[in-house]
Amino acid sequence: MNIHSLRWRLQLWHGLLLVLVLAGFGVTAYELQRAESLRRIDQQLDRRVNEVLATLREGQPRPRPDDDDPGPEGPRDPPPDRRPMPPAGFRLSQRFAMRFGTNSQTGAYYALWARDGRRIGGSDNVPGELDRPTEARPGASAIRRTRGMLRETVIVTPPGEAIVVGQSMATDLEELGRFGGWLGIAGAGVLTLSLAGGWWVVTRAIRPIEAIGATAERIATGRLAERIPVAETDSELGKLAGVLNETFARLEAAFQRQERFTADASHELRTPVSVIISQAQSALARERPAGEYRDALAACERAAQRMRRLIESLLELARLDAGATTRKETVDLARLAEETIALVRPLAEMRGLQWTVQLAPATCVGDPGQLGQVLANLLANAIDYNRDGGGIRVTVGPGGDGGVAVEVADTGIGVGPEALPHLFERFYRADPSRTGSKGRAGLGLAIVKTIVEAHGGTIEVASEPGKGTKFTLRLRGS
Amino acid sequence: MRLLIVEDEPDLLASLARSTRDEGYAVDTAADGEEGLYKALQSDYDAIVLDVMLPGIDGWEILRRLRIQRRTPVLMLTARDTPRDRVRGLDGGADDYVAKPFDLDELHARLRALIRRASGHPSGRVEIGSVVLETAARTVARDGQLVALTAREYALFEYLALHRGQLVTRTALYEHLFDEDDATLSNLLDVHVSNLRRKLGAEIIATRRGHGYCIEDPGTTP
Repeated sequence: MNIHSLRWRLQLWHGLLLVLVLAGFGVTAYELQRAESLRRIDQQLDRRVNEVLATLREGQPRPRPDDDDPGPEGPRDPPPDRRPMPPAGFRLSQRFAMRFGTNSQTGAYYALWARDGRRIGGSDNVPGELDRPTEARPGASAIRRTRGMLRETVIVTPPGEAIVVGQSMATDLEELGRFGGWLGIAGAGVLTLSLAGGWWVVTRAIRPIEAIGATAERIATGRLAERIPVAETDSELGKLAGVLNETFARLEAAFQRQERFTADASHELRTPVSVIISQAQSALARERPAGEYRDALAACERAAQRMRRLIESLLELARLDAGATTRKETVDLARLAEETIALVRPLAEMRGLQWTVQLAPATCVGDPGQLGQVLANLLANAIDYNRDGGGIRVTVGPGGDGGVAVEVADTGIGVGPEALPHLFERFYRADPSRTGSKGRAGLGLAIVKTIVEAHGGTIEVASEPGKGTKFTLRLRGS
Repeated sequence: MRLLIVEDEPDLLASLARSTRDEGYAVDTAADGEEGLYKALQSDYDAIVLDVMLPGIDGWEILRRLRIQRRTPVLMLTARDTPRDRVRGLDGGADDYVAKPFDLDELHARLRALIRRASGHPSGRVEIGSVVLETAARTVARDGQLVALTAREYALFEYLALHRGQLVTRTALYEHLFDEDDATLSNLLDVHVSNLRRKLGAEIIATRRGHGYCIEDPGTTP
């Protein structure tokens, strides 16, 4: 049990609040009940006081003839069966007397003192320790007092007779105690039920959190394909889980791209390394004619050059990915295209390709080196994937919306529609085996796209297998 | 032993062919899938080294089509080196799997093991009476003394020894000992056989006139 866990804190807070409410409610109910029973007792006592007072006013009651009390004066030893002092010359009427019990534990009792302080009357069940009350002033209103289990009303008549009427509260207190007990039991029941319900609700509420935590933990250990199970998509946590799942998916995709990139890069390096190792090992295996050594060295050099190109491309991409600051210069794409075409013209002539070039001034702001590489890569593609004796059409000029556009179209083998969307992906090759001799790693167009996007431009491709491919590059003009 | 190497990277193909020829194999080469599949189906090679990534028909497809007709041992050569690729290669009917870049020594050892297993010899050592053939070292010893053999003589003896107890026809010997570029006259085979008999003992290779040659298996013909 972790006291800092959300579940326990919620439970603790919820339990505490509930205990306070229940205690407040219980104490109030108990107090109300106690006040009510006291009021009831006091009312009864008031009625009896009135009866005693009424009897007093009716005149001095005469002792009955059978009364064994000899007179008002001189108390004598009580008979063994009567503990309290017999009333001196005062008797309640029989009707009233019946209302007083004979047992101080249950019934009501009264006691009466004369003006001079003598006790002149009382019921049989007056508790022994009762003395003449001193707290009441003559003629003042009744005083209520509680002595132990006894509730008494004290009144002193204007002439000075003191009357105490009392009653035991034992049964009422017992009842009150039972009531309190029931309150306690009910409160405990409500608390238990409510805590159990709260536990259930909280458990259910935080179950998604636990699921999210468990999933995140599994993802942290490298199982990137894990997703949070989303049962209720409308709850706050359901929405959170949805958002997290999307994040995880994006993370996984990025991770996979990175992984594929690394795998592809190492894959591209494996073949030239194999060439170097096998050429060197087979050349060194025995004495050979000089020509074979030359061949082996030439093959090693070709493989090493291929690796160098690959490494340069990878570095270029890494630089672009890192957001290397591109220089901002005014570049005339027409002149840049002219220069680039001059560079690659010998390659095109080797394949007997015909140029169709339309150049109109088209200036934009950018890094001339990077934009030159874009053109060089596009032209190299147009040459490599052309057919012998085909054509290359290069058009540079103003594009729409004040921008500039470059079009490079070839009459080559083209690309199928299934490959078109992937053409700018790193290491993507429309024909996966078209590696080796040409030494193309499939990074040229990826570099083109990265540079163009870094310049805020767009590049599109349209192609028809067997007919040719056309790249359209658009940049903001200056 | 005759090999087919199918590999589209010309420099790698050249070095593989050179080094395996040095090892005494007769080697045919193919630079793309179509040619590779055609040759693999046409001739009875002792083993095929097959690159996975090929223009035209790729290595997996060649393997699949080859397996319909032939049980030639195939060693796949690939730049993809994940366990999934290896499983796919082995499950696809490849007999071994080597990832680029590789050492030629390892490739040669794997080829020897492949051919040995295909001919039913788990060990690289074959004893025929007092003559001992070590395929790993490519040596033949008689009574503990190494016997100097030419590459062709060794290849002929190795083939017969690995197929001992079987009649090996002259056609089979031509198929397995000479590659497509060899213009060897048929009587050269007799010259090699007689040289072997001179060096290893006249009784070691029996001639089945009109059929071919045979090294008797002591298990079947004591």
